[in-house]
Amino acid sequence: MSITHDPTSGTPDRTLVSRRRLLGAGAAGAGAVALGACADDGPNLPAEGEIVSVRTPSVPRRDPASPLWDDAPPTVVVLEGQITAPPYRREPVVADISVRSLHDRDDVALLVEWDDPRPDAATVANDGFRDACAVLLGDPAAGEELRFMGTQQHPVTLLQWKADWQHDVEHGVRTIDDEYPDRSVDAYPPIVTDDPLGITPADYVTADATPWLPGLHVGNLLSAPTRTRCVEKMIAYGFGTTTTTDTQDADGWGRHDGGRWAVVVTKPLAAHDAGELHLRPRGSATCAFAVWSGADGDAGGRKSVSTRTYRLVLREAHGPSPFPS
Amino acid sequence: MAEVWNWQLNRTMQYHYDEVRPRRQAAAVFDTNKCIGCQTCTMACKTTWTSGHGQEYMLWNNVETKPWGSYPLAWDVKALQLLGPQHWDGDTYTGDTIFEAAPEDKRALGYAPSDIEFAYPNRGEDEVNVSITREKYHLKMPHDMWFFYLPRVCNHCTYPACLESCSRQSIYKRPEDGVVLVDQDRCRGYRVCYEACPYKKIFYNHTTKVAEKCVFCYPALEQGIQPRCMRSCIGKIRSFGYVSTPDEARDDNPIDFLVHVRKVALPLYPQFGLEPNVYYIPPIHVDSDPFLTMLFGPGARRAIDTYVAAMEGDDRELLAALLLAVSSDRIMTRFSVDDDMVSGYTDDGERAVHMPIRVPNVERSPFDPDLNVYRLNTT
Repeated sequence: MSITHDPTSGTPDRTLVSRRRLLGAGAAGAGAVALGACADDGPNLPAEGEIVSVRTPSVPRRDPASPLWDDAPPTVVVLEGQITAPPYRREPVVADISVRSLHDRDDVALLVEWDDPRPDAATVANDGFRDACAVLLGDPAAGEELRFMGTQQHPVTLLQWKADWQHDVEHGVRTIDDEYPDRSVDAYPPIVTDDPLGITPADYVTADATPWLPGLHVGNLLSAPTRTRCVEKMIAYGFGTTTTTDTQDADGWGRHDGGRWAVVVTKPLAAHDAGELHLRPRGSATCAFAVWSGADGDAGGRKSVSTRTYRLVLREAHGPSPFPS
Repeated sequence: MAEVWNWQLNRTMQYHYDEVRPRRQAAAVFDTNKCIGCQTCTMACKTTWTSGHGQEYMLWNNVETKPWGSYPLAWDVKALQLLGPQHWDGDTYTGDTIFEAAPEDKRALGYAPSDIEFAYPNRGEDEVNVSITREKYHLKMPHDMWFFYLPRVCNHCTYPACLESCSRQSIYKRPEDGVVLVDQDRCRGYRVCYEACPYKKIFYNHTTKVAEKCVFCYPALEQGIQPRCMRSCIGKIRSFGYVSTPDEARDDNPIDFLVHVRKVALPLYPQFGLEPNVYYIPPIHVDSDPFLTMLFGPGARRAIDTYVAAMEGDDRELLAALLLAVSSDRIMTRFSVDDDMVSGYTDDGERAVHMPIRVPNVERSPFDPDLNVYRLNTT
């Protein structure tokens, strides 16, 4: 497993087992917990069922270990199995997650952290599944129905971070070459070469041969020959309707350390696609969460989901941090 | 869940979606008695559709030897084992289908094969049903031992488990011909379809990370041309056309005639409940009726008797219908028999073939006076 800190960010690695993890763990099992509420009444503290997004000069888009996250109060979100649409997951693999949020003039970012002793980022083999997490954002006026992938009246914006996509960004898109480098292949028509095992999906693009890779040919992001982002933005109007948006401007990064994932997921405040949630400073959104454990065969509806929706509140003012350093 | 009619089970059954049949259903009949296991169909399909990066172990068409062969490994044994012992009462299936036996958290009972299970497509090839001992076996009929080839493609089922299980609704059945396809743009590689299909004829592309399956060469169908695997069949075991439901079966439709009128062509593992649309003429030399019933349902022995009688000259029409197999690249949806000739017609009513049901036996003189030479028959 080689999920590491984003080498392009310039921020040095730092241990994530910090005071915020300890605070998060202490609140596990309490449902939607406003961690700081019992200790401080500062302006950034979340109320019941609330996630406070703290204004910051610039969100750490790809840095889950940034000290800026210490300014954002954590909310512990309890998860349950998805039991509405088969295939189910009756019992959650992940019991709870910790969520923090920051925003700046242009973007909102959420830091999602959860325990996962068996990180998984390979989706090449038939039985290979990825770790992932998703943030669901919807109209603040909508209620619990948003948890079920939105409705026709209240579409939801989904931001899904995928561990295998992050691996692709770091090391190049993983294909069958990584799983079976010694397989026997005579040729990959129509590409003519003496070294068929040296062919990559990108070569199909160069050779104008994408019909031989149908997913790539129709533009499915899962089949992309190269990758620069590991968060996918989608819109959904109910179960089974999740659709990748034309504009892919969501971003993020994950880090696995000490048996725990810390993943940043960001999106611009402004909407750029039909049905997308448009956020404003001092505004709010309804949100929910999901986590997939690749090692447990999670994919699609087999996931751990939040038991309720939360209100994401964007606080404009810079309040003092309730957490002494 | 909806109640749908499955004519192959002679009863209604549970399915997630309502019964919506296509305007017509693409179908094929494979005569297992004529298949020589040459794999020309396999290669025709492979070179046409699955020669790309990530499709290395993907065979939309394969030919396996029964009883021991299977691709992926033991696919049918595992599916049957999951389902457990089930029963027929005459022509009515009284057991559970994979939909009815599904656990609470799934829509269909199934399993997901691992990579290694796709690595041996010819396992069990040409292995006979019994162990060979020191005793001498002499050729006799019926055979002391047997095997037969089972060519397989997607069955383009009336009630596809792949389609039913996909929570994304990425799989659809074309209303114009019933061909089942995966929307390559919508698929997100969850592999639930792959787990649900009991025939294991939907695959995961290791490079594009989405599901793929047999498309029945629909671009050819749209031009009235048969799929590649059918056209390339050198044993001429395959007939392609459109099958009706029993109540709408036409005597002059070659597929209807084989499936509904003479009932010589039977679905593979109908007890799974998918109403598959590739039909098989059972192998006549297999002496195990329970095995044949397990594979093809309760009509297997009756189909063999009808088929054997036709081969002995008792059923000219059946011989004629069988003769149409791969006699033309064009899809023939009607046939007629006049005297000793059979004609096959396309959708447009154009006659695609006109040929004798039995080729006349001509005895040639060894001396050709025109060329003043002697010619000997050497065979």
